[in-house]
Amino acid sequence: MKETQKFLVYRNSGEGIIRYEGYEVPLKPGYTILDALFYIQDHFDSTFAFRYSCRGAICGSCGITVDKIPDLACKTQISAVKTKRNPIGLPEFHFGEHPNWDKENEILIEPLPNMPVLKDLVVNMDNFWKFYVEVQPYFTRDYNDVAPESKQSPEEMNAIERLVYCIACGLCWACPVNATNPHYLGPMQLAKADRFLRDSRISDEHEKEILERVLKDDGVLACEKYFVCNRVCPRGVMPGTAINDIRKKMEERK
Amino acid sequence: MRIEKFDAVVVGAGLSGLRAGLELSREWNVGVISKVYPVRSHSGAAQGGINAALGNRPDGKEDTPKIHAYDTVYGSDYLADQDVVMYMTEEAPRIVVEFESMGTPFSRLESGLIAQRPFGGAGFPRTCYAGDRTGHALLHTLFEQCVRQGVKFYNEYFLVDLFKADGQIAGLIALDIKTGEFVSFRAPNVILATGGFGRVYKESTNALINTGDGNGAAYRVGVPMQDMEFVQIHPTTLYGSNILISEGARGEGGLLYNSKGERFMQKYAPKAMELAPRDIVARSIQTEILEGRGFEDAYVHLDLTHLGKNRIMERLPGIREISMYFAGVDPIEKPIPILPGQHYSMGGIGTKYNGDYGETELPGLFAIGECSCLSVHGANRLGGNSLLETSVFGRYIGRTLLKKGKSISASEDSIQKAEMAALYIIEELLDKWNSNTGKKPNEIKEKMGETMNRYLSVYRNQPDMEKALKIIEGLQLDFKDINIPTTERKLNWGLIRALELRNMMDIAEATVRGAIWRKESRGAHWRTDYPTRNDKEYQVHTMIYPGEKGMEIKTKPVKLGIFETKERKY
Ligand SMILES: Cc1cc2nc3c(=O)[nH]c(=O)nc-3n(C[C@H](O)[C@H](O)[C@H](O)COP(=O)(O)OP(=O)(O)OC[C@H]3O[C@@H](n4cnc5c(N)ncnc54)[C@H](O)[C@@H]3O)c2cc1C
Ligand code: SF4
Ligand code: FES
Repeated sequence: MKETQKFLVYRNSGEGIIRYEGYEVPLKPGYTILDALFYIQDHFDSTFAFRYSCRGAICGSCGITVDKIPDLACKTQISAVKTKRNPIGLPEFHFGEHPNWDKENEILIEPLPNMPVLKDLVVNMDNFWKFYVEVQPYFTRDYNDVAPESKQSPEEMNAIERLVYCIACGLCWACPVNATNPHYLGPMQLAKADRFLRDSRISDEHEKEILERVLKDDGVLACEKYFVCNRVCPRGVMPGTAINDIRKKMEERK
Repeated sequence: MRIEKFDAVVVGAGLSGLRAGLELSREWNVGVISKVYPVRSHSGAAQGGINAALGNRPDGKEDTPKIHAYDTVYGSDYLADQDVVMYMTEEAPRIVVEFESMGTPFSRLESGLIAQRPFGGAGFPRTCYAGDRTGHALLHTLFEQCVRQGVKFYNEYFLVDLFKADGQIAGLIALDIKTGEFVSFRAPNVILATGGFGRVYKESTNALINTGDGNGAAYRVGVPMQDMEFVQIHPTTLYGSNILISEGARGEGGLLYNSKGERFMQKYAPKAMELAPRDIVARSIQTEILEGRGFEDAYVHLDLTHLGKNRIMERLPGIREISMYFAGVDPIEKPIPILPGQHYSMGGIGTKYNGDYGETELPGLFAIGECSCLSVHGANRLGGNSLLETSVFGRYIGRTLLKKGKSISASEDSIQKAEMAALYIIEELLDKWNSNTGKKPNEIKEKMGETMNRYLSVYRNQPDMEKALKIIEGLQLDFKDINIPTTERKLNWGLIRALELRNMMDIAEATVRGAIWRKESRGAHWRTDYPTRNDKEYQVHTMIYPGEKGMEIKTKPVKLGIFETKERKY
C-alpha cells in the first residue's frame, strides 16, 4: 500500500475566486475520501469547507465529485478510486481550470455539479429542497394512532422499497437536463413522486394531485432519458426508471 | 445581532425534535433549528427497528405494554424510572400505528400487518422494522409531515449557548453557518433534542455530528448531567470503521464465532445466546478478544452465511452493503469481522424529580431523545427502545406544553441583558481562540477519544479511571489555550468542530467522574473491582452539577414501585 496520497482540491472562497490546491495525505487501511477531507481540514486549513454527518452512506450529506464522477465521499475508499468500476457515459463536468492535474497519481476533488457553489465543496441545495416541496411528497390523509394499522401486503411494500431508500444526496442532479434547465424538478424529486404514486395506500384523489404536479414541461416531460441519474445514484433508486414509470401511468390514465 | 422570537424553539431535527416540532407548530409559533438538514440527522442511521407490543405475529400474541415495560426495567438493571417506562410502553403501539398512518414504509407480514422481529432482552418479537433501515424510513416520514404542515426550519444553524433571564430559560444564541452571523432565538420554552454524544469516544457507531452540544449548553446554564457513566458499547461494530452491524443481524439468526470456531456465547448466556442484552454480549466478545481467541487479536466473526442469499438480500440488505463498502466482505459468502464500540448514551441532560417527563430544573427548558435522561433506559438500553423514546416523548412534550398554554417571558429588559452577556462570552472566546498559541483542537479531541476508549469501555476499574481523569483534566486546561482561526465565520466547520469539542470536554469529564463515583457494577457500567450491583447505596441517579470548584456530584432517587427489584440474569 502507498504511504501517502496526493489530492488536487477545488477551492472557492465563495466570492468567485476559484483555485485548485494540492495536498498530500498519509494513508491508513480503510481510509475513505471523507477521512482525507478531514485530514486536510485538521492539518492544512481549518476553513476548508465540506458537508458530512453519518460517515456511513446513509445521510446524504457528503456528495462531491471525485475524479469527475459524482459520489459520496464517505463511501469511497481512497485505495479504490483509481481502480473501481465507474458509471460510464457521464457528461463532462467543468468547475474551473486545472491544467496541472496528474490523472494517474492525483485524486481530483470537486463539488457536485449543477448547483451553485457556496464555498469549496459546499453547494447551495435550496432549489433541490424547493422542488422537493413543490412535488408535495407526503401522505395527505389525516393521520391517527388508532390500531389496527392499515394493511399492505409484502408484495405491495416491495413495489416501493427501491424508491423509499433515497437519501436526498443530490448526486442525480448531475443530469444534463439539470445543467441546462434551472426549473427542472429533478430526478430525485420525480422519484419521490413515484414513491407515493406506487404506494398501495394512496387514495385516487391524491394520486391525481401528484400526477398533476409532475406532468408538466419542467417535470416528467423535461426528462430526455439520459439515465445519468440511474448510474450515479448510490442507493439504486433508479430515478430515471421511476420517471418512465410515471409516464406509463400517465398513458394508462388517458 | 439578528433576533427571532418564538413561543417555543426546538433544537434538533432528528426524530425527537421533528415530532415535538410537528406537534407544537399545530398551534404555536415554533422554530426548529438544526446544524444539518433534518434528514441528515443521526436518527436516519438507525437500522434494527422500533419496539411496540403490537402482537402482530402469532408467537407474539401474548405481548403487552406491561411485559414490554418489565423487559425494559429488567434490562435497565433497575435504574430506569418505572413510571416513565410504563408511559412509554403504553404509548408504543399508538406511536407505531401513527407512523404507519403518516406513510412509513414498514416491512409487512403475510397478514398485511407491520412485521416484527425478535430483539435482545425482549420476551416477544416486538421490534417493528422497515428492512434494516428503520430510522431512515421513520425520519423521512416525519420530515414529510413537517413539510406538509409548514414547520419552520432553520437548517444549518448551530446552537452555541443558552441564556436565562429572571430564573427561567429565555432563549439561545446560534451561529447561522451559511452567513457566519450569530442569531438570538428568544423563547420562553426551549426543547433540546440534540441527540447522542458518542463522538466523545474514538470508536463509535455514531454520526460524526453526535457531539452533545445540547448537553454542553445546558450544563453551562446550570442544568446537571445525569447518569453519564452509563455508556452502551454495542457488541457488533464493523472492524475498521465501527459502523454499526445491527442487532437485527443476530435477530435474523446471525451467529458469533471466535478464532477457534467456537460459538462462545454458550459460555456466557446459555439461554439467550447471541440475543442476550448488549452489555453482556459486548463483554463476552471483549473477553474472547482479551483472552486471545479473537482474529488478529482485534475482532470476532459474525456469521450470516447459513441464512442464505435470499434471506440476507431481503431482510438485511443494508448490512450487506455496509460490509461490502466499508470492509470489503460479502456476508453471503464470508463472516463479518466485528468488535464492540460505543453506541448509545443512556445518560444525558438531567431531568427534574417529579416534573413533566423531560422537564429540567431550569423552568422552560426541556430535553428529549438521546440527549436527555428521563430515564427510560437506566443503566442499559434495550435495542429498539430509543427510536420509540424519541417519538413518544417528542409528541408528549408537544401535547403537554400546548395543554399548559404559552408561558410568560421574562422582562424584555432582562432578556436583552442576558442575550448580550451570552453573546459577549462567545465573542470573547472566539477572540481568544484566534490569538492563543496552544494546541490544535483535533489533537485534544484525538487524545480525549483514545482515553475514553481505553479506560471507560466495557471493563472499568479505579486505577484506570483515575488515569483517565488526570488526562482529561489536563486536556481541559489545554483546551482553554487552543488555537484556531475564528475571524472567517462563514461556513467554517473548523470553528464549529472546536465549539463541539467545548461540549465534549465537559461530557467526557462528567462520564469519568460519574464512573469513579459509582462503586458497583450495573448494566453497562461494569467494574472489575466492584463486580456486583449494590442497590443499597447506588440504586440512585448520578447528578453532576457545575459547582464553584468544578463538577459536583449529587443524587436523585429512582422511581420504583411497579416492578420488584431482582437480580438481572439471562
Ligand atoms: C448506528 C445506529 C443505529 C441505531 N439503531 C437503532 C435501532 O435500530 N433502534 C433504536 O431504537 N435505536 C437505534 N439507535 C439509537 C437511535 O437511533 C437514536 O438514539 C435516536 O435516533 C436519537 O434521536 P434524536 O432525535 O434524539 O437525535 P438525532 O437523530 O441524533 O438528532 C439530533 C439533532 O440535533 C441537531 N443538533 C445537534 N447539535 C446541534 C447544535 N449544536 N445546533 C443545532 N442543532 C443541533 C442535529 O442537527 C440533529 O438534527 C441507533 C443508533 C445508532 C448510532
Ligand atoms: S435518487 Fe439517488 S442520487 Fe438522487 S438524491 Fe436520491 S439517493 Fe441521491
Ligand atoms: S456522511 Fe452521510 S452519506 Fe456520507
